[in-house]
Amino acid sequence: MKPVLYAAALACVATVAHAQETEIRVHYAIPTIWAETQQKLADAFMEQHPDIKVVIDGPAESYADGVQRLLRESVAGTTPDVAYVGLNRWRILEDRGLTQPLDDYLGDQAEALGYTPALLSLGQYEGKQHALGTSASTLVMYVNPDLVEKAGGSMDTFPTTFDGVIELAAKINQLDDKTDGVWIGRHDWRFQSLLGSHGGRPMNENESDITFDNEAGFTAAGLYQRFATEAGMKSYGQNEARQAFPAGTLGIMFESSSLQKAFEAGAGEAFAPVVKPLPIATDDTSRVYFPTGGSGIVMLTKDADKQAAAWEYIKYVTGPEGQKIIVENTGYAPANAKVIEDESYLGEFYAANPNSRVAHTQVATYAGPWYAYPGAEGVAVTDLIAASLVEITEGEDAKATIEDLAETLRLQLGMK
Amino acid sequence: MTALSLATRERLTDIWLAGPATLAMVVFIFLPVAIVAMLSLTDYQFGATTFSWIGLENYQKLFSSTLGRKAITNTLIYVAVVIPGSVVLGLLVALGLHRMNHWAPRLSNVFRTVYFLPVAATLVAMSVAWQMVLHPSLGVVNQGLVAVNLPPQNWLGDRGLVLYTLSIIGIWQTVGYNMVLFLAGLLAIPDELYDAAEVDGAGSPWSSFWTVTWPMLGPTTLFVMVITAANAFRVFETVATLTKGGPAFASDTLVYALYREGFVYFKAGYSSAITIVFFAILLVLTLLQFRVVERKVHYR
Repeated sequence: MKPVLYAAALACVATVAHAQETEIRVHYAIPTIWAETQQKLADAFMEQHPDIKVVIDGPAESYADGVQRLLRESVAGTTPDVAYVGLNRWRILEDRGLTQPLDDYLGDQAEALGYTPALLSLGQYEGKQHALGTSASTLVMYVNPDLVEKAGGSMDTFPTTFDGVIELAAKINQLDDKTDGVWIGRHDWRFQSLLGSHGGRPMNENESDITFDNEAGFTAAGLYQRFATEAGMKSYGQNEARQAFPAGTLGIMFESSSLQKAFEAGAGEAFAPVVKPLPIATDDTSRVYFPTGGSGIVMLTKDADKQAAAWEYIKYVTGPEGQKIIVENTGYAPANAKVIEDESYLGEFYAANPNSRVAHTQVATYAGPWYAYPGAEGVAVTDLIAASLVEITEGEDAKATIEDLAETLRLQLGMK
Repeated sequence: MTALSLATRERLTDIWLAGPATLAMVVFIFLPVAIVAMLSLTDYQFGATTFSWIGLENYQKLFSSTLGRKAITNTLIYVAVVIPGSVVLGLLVALGLHRMNHWAPRLSNVFRTVYFLPVAATLVAMSVAWQMVLHPSLGVVNQGLVAVNLPPQNWLGDRGLVLYTLSIIGIWQTVGYNMVLFLAGLLAIPDELYDAAEVDGAGSPWSSFWTVTWPMLGPTTLFVMVITAANAFRVFETVATLTKGGPAFASDTLVYALYREGFVYFKAGYSSAITIVFFAILLVLTLLQFRVVERKVHYR
């Protein structure tokens, strides 16, 4: 009789233990940046929450691949419970009804947990919180101080206006045939950043109209032409420019703050790249915002138990402890205010990495959503924007081109 | 035990042998093609729960929109440059190496391997090398141009130039393959024909080429052209790794547009329509290829 009782008791314990452990599946992309970090996050989280088991899916190569996979999995019914997605891509999931709003979990706690309104805006659509930022980057200037000195400039009095930057870039460009003054990508996100610096917005509040065909838009797009004509900017592709800067033949490069580690490693002993904040081109700084790249986290599970466990995980990775792990391991800026304000988390890190402090302060001050254009043609129009920027760089009139572009977008996006 | 008749047994064996492969073809090739053909008549968005039938609108858009037309003309220009370039170069290299084989067989073999390397190498990895070589300021090509006082070019960033740069990379990649085919064709020409030509007074290299080599290579040349065309229409890796169709769609090609629309823009319906058009082009080329292969050398 006894063995049977033991067995029954054991079975009971086993089921209880089993019932207590909730398993959540996590999806992420870009293993070259994230693989180690994800494991560290999962381990640290499970140590605090022994009742929740985090299972990490095999990563997707890029955020674009990742969203494709999530869509495929949603069709097949094997969607993971939580997913890290590109900050400009969660809307694709929201559009198909896959994301679970987080408002009920946040309640009125948002501010207390370190999510400022600017940071919350990264994952909001129509008043609902669909995603929370996990890592952030904005457009900054990477400067080669050696070339600046050679051209007669000084890092201490580095220009803080676009006019000043163009003037300095022109001088660097004159140094010799191989050296270029300045480069910026002809790309939707870069354009939105320049637009934000001029106080402009790509769309109106309810996304029913394009709003970059005004003075702010013309001036921002016109910068591309000024860079080319006044400072001799070459029409490099992104990869070519990313090779030129670490090689020391490019003076000033406008690029994502997330590339800081790669550039510092690429430049090696040759020179020490310096990060400078993007110039602000309007007097009304309340209108300034910089569209924020990076990743956000979304909840996809529809199961109530899993949702509770998923929220614990989301709260942890977007909270100060998780953010500290992400910042120290990826080079991205944090998406939580507490981790920046409280020196105990990253004080030492910033003391050792002044470039990171510049980039992360810019994120904390001016973070804003990276506008995704609505509807089926939303991604396609970003390539049209890039094409127009190429035309402007090569001499087309900025005002006329931008006006044309805005009209094309309105038609394409069904706004009229 | 009832014995089946010999004919029935043979028939069963036929089905047993050909059946599994046929089934696999139907399930993995014909069925997906049918689904893609069906999707091409819808506005289906990848991952969406609903779609509606829009008839031939996707096809109309491909042939009438600026971007669709651009992808088609770019592909045709690319094919039009790559076919003659790689066929003529392939033939010249094969002729040279074939002759060299008489006086320096080892060297000829070394060259053969060198010319064949681009075919064997991974094009994506090679693209990275090309990117370095063609870099506007750091690349050896432009540094060479500057050294001899020629203006440097922006090979991959100039809208008027980028497609031709990609074509040259395409030629570089296919010359070796065409060379091998031509070498095989040259080996198949019997020596007696050259002797006969010499007796008839066509002994100079020039006239023996036109009277013997070129006509005897006719079928090989046609075959090489069809193969090159089929490969050139498929151009994707260099576009995807070097230019992403840019700048401003200047190097957008059919297969890259297919990928872009389907996997970047998630427009599965439109992307399916491009796939069907591409499929039709390749089908025509394949039929042509069958014809060419089946046609025997009619000079003998």
